[in-house]
Amino acid sequence: MDLVIFGVVWIILSVLAEWGFNHIRANTMYYLISNEGTIAHHAFNFLTTVLTPIFLFVIWYLIFAAIRFHAKSPDAKPSPRQSTKNGLFTTVWITGAIVVNVLFWLHPTAADMEQIFASQLPSKNRHDLIVDVTARQWEWIFSYPQYHLTQTVNAAGQDELVIPVHRKVEFRLRSYDPFHTYDIEAGVIHSFWIPAFGLKEDVIPGETRYEYIVATHTASYYTNPEVRVQCAEVCGPGHPWMEAPLKIVTARQFKAWIRHQQLLEHVVST
Amino acid sequence: MAHQVLASPSMKVRVMPPMLRGFLWAGIAFLLTNSLVASIRPDVGHPFVNEVSITIGWVAALTGWLLGVGAYEGVVLPLFGVTPRIGQATDWRRYFAFATDHKVVGIQYLASSAAAFILAGSIAMAMRIELASPTIYFFHYSDQYLAAVGVHGTIMMFAVATVALVGGMGNYMVPLMIGAKNTVFPRLSGLGHWLIPAGVLTVAMSPLLGYWTTGWRGYEPLGSQDPSGIIFYYLGVAAMALSSTIVSLNMVTTIVFNRAPGLTWPRLPMYVWGVLTVSILNLIWLPEIQMTFILELLDRLVPLNLFNAAGQPLAELELFWLFGHPEVYIIVVPGFALWNEIIPVMAQKSLFGRSWAVIGLIFVMMLSGMVWAHHMFTNMRNSEILPFAFFTEMISIPTGFGYMAAIGTLWQSRYRLTTPGLLVLMSMFNFLLGGISGVYLADPPVNLQVHDTMFIVAHFHYTIIGGMIFTWIAATYYWLPKISGRLYSEFWGKFLSIWIFIAFNTAFSTMFLVGLEGMNRWVPAYPPYLHPLNLVISLAAWALGTGFVLHAVHIVWAWRKGPPAPDNPWNGRTLEWLTSSPPPPNNFAEVPIIDESFYVYGDAVKPAARNWDRLKPS
Ligand code: HEM
Ligand SMILES: [Cu+2]
Ligand SMILES: [Cu+2]
Repeated sequence: MDLVIFGVVWIILSVLAEWGFNHIRANTMYYLISNEGTIAHHAFNFLTTVLTPIFLFVIWYLIFAAIRFHAKSPDAKPSPRQSTKNGLFTTVWITGAIVVNVLFWLHPTAADMEQIFASQLPSKNRHDLIVDVTARQWEWIFSYPQYHLTQTVNAAGQDELVIPVHRKVEFRLRSYDPFHTYDIEAGVIHSFWIPAFGLKEDVIPGETRYEYIVATHTASYYTNPEVRVQCAEVCGPGHPWMEAPLKIVTARQFKAWIRHQQLLEHVVST
Repeated sequence: MAHQVLASPSMKVRVMPPMLRGFLWAGIAFLLTNSLVASIRPDVGHPFVNEVSITIGWVAALTGWLLGVGAYEGVVLPLFGVTPRIGQATDWRRYFAFATDHKVVGIQYLASSAAAFILAGSIAMAMRIELASPTIYFFHYSDQYLAAVGVHGTIMMFAVATVALVGGMGNYMVPLMIGAKNTVFPRLSGLGHWLIPAGVLTVAMSPLLGYWTTGWRGYEPLGSQDPSGIIFYYLGVAAMALSSTIVSLNMVTTIVFNRAPGLTWPRLPMYVWGVLTVSILNLIWLPEIQMTFILELLDRLVPLNLFNAAGQPLAELELFWLFGHPEVYIIVVPGFALWNEIIPVMAQKSLFGRSWAVIGLIFVMMLSGMVWAHHMFTNMRNSEILPFAFFTEMISIPTGFGYMAAIGTLWQSRYRLTTPGLLVLMSMFNFLLGGISGVYLADPPVNLQVHDTMFIVAHFHYTIIGGMIFTWIAATYYWLPKISGRLYSEFWGKFLSIWIFIAFNTAFSTMFLVGLEGMNRWVPAYPPYLHPLNLVISLAAWALGTGFVLHAVHIVWAWRKGPPAPDNPWNGRTLEWLTSSPPPPNNFAEVPIIDESFYVYGDAVKPAARNWDRLKPS
């Protein structure tokens, strides 16, 4: 009897929860607009779909036990039912746990990592846009070596990152301080994070790291604040403000922007 | 030892209160040593209190503190064969001095941990005031906020989470539960406790030397460019970690050598298994982190260039998390064990799948050393990610065994929903959310998005507060009648538990959302779009803090003024319930002889100890 009530309610709850989840699955990680962000988003939803019944099993069980099995009087009487073993339950639980966890490792983990490796193979990286990203305390500096730009800025003079949509970008990440008066190698760890892209990479003094990404939508910091570069690793008092606006634009707009920056830096003249 | 003493402070011998003497001796030792070092330091013009002098002065002060608080009479004099003029007090004063009774030491640890919890909790409240607004307004500068985060995290981890259920409850209960009269290293253990207040004070005073900004992980090279305050972080942690190492050494040895006859390994109580497994983890990993911090300290003082761009910044991260991940299991394993200690008693039902629950603890212990790099997915080559993701995902299998045993035990039981019984269920609920969010974190693509955001902060508070703090409160209510001989109020106990349950879940489930929406950690200011949710978190966090304080008030009230409790109010079967409440100095009138399991209930079961009727002092 207890088993039937518990089981039926559990199934109903799981179905309802999955149904509800289906309505919000597009926004579960808020706003992601990159190829790797999409991978993360799919993984998140897959995990949720599988975990929902498991989660509800335990939660519902705890509530069920508190309601159905609680003693009506506080005195110490032994429980009517005594058992220390139930082969079926133990076997199902343990095999279930192993199966689910191995599944999660194969999919999404290993399958997704495969895709991420593939997106970063050098042979496919020939015509990428290269952006040199320098993290210093506390500023992100962007330079575009293919266009001879050393530090791109917006009209307010803030560092600004602009990239074209649907084109692979190779970020080269370094941490040092080009403006330091005597020790430009004095750097700390930062983390290059664009919330709307769904991934981050630490930037370590003394190392050069690469991150490849394709943006899948045009977007701008000024319409969605998740479209920003944000330092995610604590790097001293300036850490909270170590951010920079980001714009993802069409190929044409990008060309115009590059031209404008080149004029500003006197790489070309009018 | 107590019986060789000529006079005790309760008699008419005038002695200075030991803690006061400790402060005095610490102050004198610091002043002398600091002046000495400052005067022989070669470079001209350095300040009187400098990084080198303060480090060496601190070591002297710590020694002065330990001696003053009672190690002089308790350890040093006996070592030279001198009988001390004064011995250990027998009244309330024994809690405020060096003590060798494991129950006194346990209460000292519990009290120090609780005080540290309130202190670090108040700092969290200040942080939440700041985060109620998107701009910085409560702290004056960003580095003050970051120092607050660091002090909060460090004290919570090393003086509360690692300590309360091992040095505190463990010291008090483990010897009782295994039928021992005392621990194997009573003096070392008595000394060990006093490292905790020293460590907490050191970390709490660190901002006086400058606002350090690294947080509790002390990442390099940031640490070496931070102001001097970080030195007190290294030193304070060294003291607190040493304290837990001592506890663990004492616990492991006591469990191995002091078990009552008949208390074989298969009969070992669940909680004792929990303390044993964490103690082993402590013995492996605490020395590792102490060594790391000593290297960081030397890196700074000498300097050695170990961890900057000329050395290897990532080495510090690896060394930190090598300890850091086992640490999270150090925190939560005693909690797992306690669920399955308390549930069978409240249900008066035999523990289900007991060997699986024990296997779970042991496998968690072993796997926990193989997953550290999941804290560093943003720092790894792709090929290194897969094995760490694998082990991380696998660790949820043994973790689940504790749930399996609890669920099997609860099934068709007659569960007494007392305050501890309720808190255990709540803790299982909370930890489930922490654990489930951990499954997402183990998947690298998801991790790369939520790492270093408030999602992580929500995750680990769910495991720590949800799993450990809730269980600590449960254990306190469960054993309060044993420790104090008094009962608490069921109404207030349950009311306050529901209070903290709601406040906790409101605050920290919302924190998952702000993390997903792009709020990073270690920030006193954030983009305005995150403001509404942060306001919710701050309000709920304050309600939570208040709830914790009210629990503390209620517990203290019950301890002092509650109605008298019978010796075995829950009808528990483990040995601590067979002696009087509170237990006498040597625990049992005679050594218990065990010939039954502690976890079998039913109409016909006999008490676990053959001589159960002769264990109580007459
Ligand atoms: C009383 C309720 C609590 C509240 C409201 C609270 C709040 C916070 C906040 C706002 C942070 C800063 C997060 C960040 O920006 O990185 C934090 C960090 C932290 N908290 Fe808590 N906390 C509480 C209790 C605890 C407890 C009980 C523990 C452990 C026993 C704990 C351990 C930590 C740790 C280890 C950190 C990380 C510090 C760091 O990044 O260096 N907290 N907490
Ligand atoms: Cu930063
Ligand atoms: Cu970990």
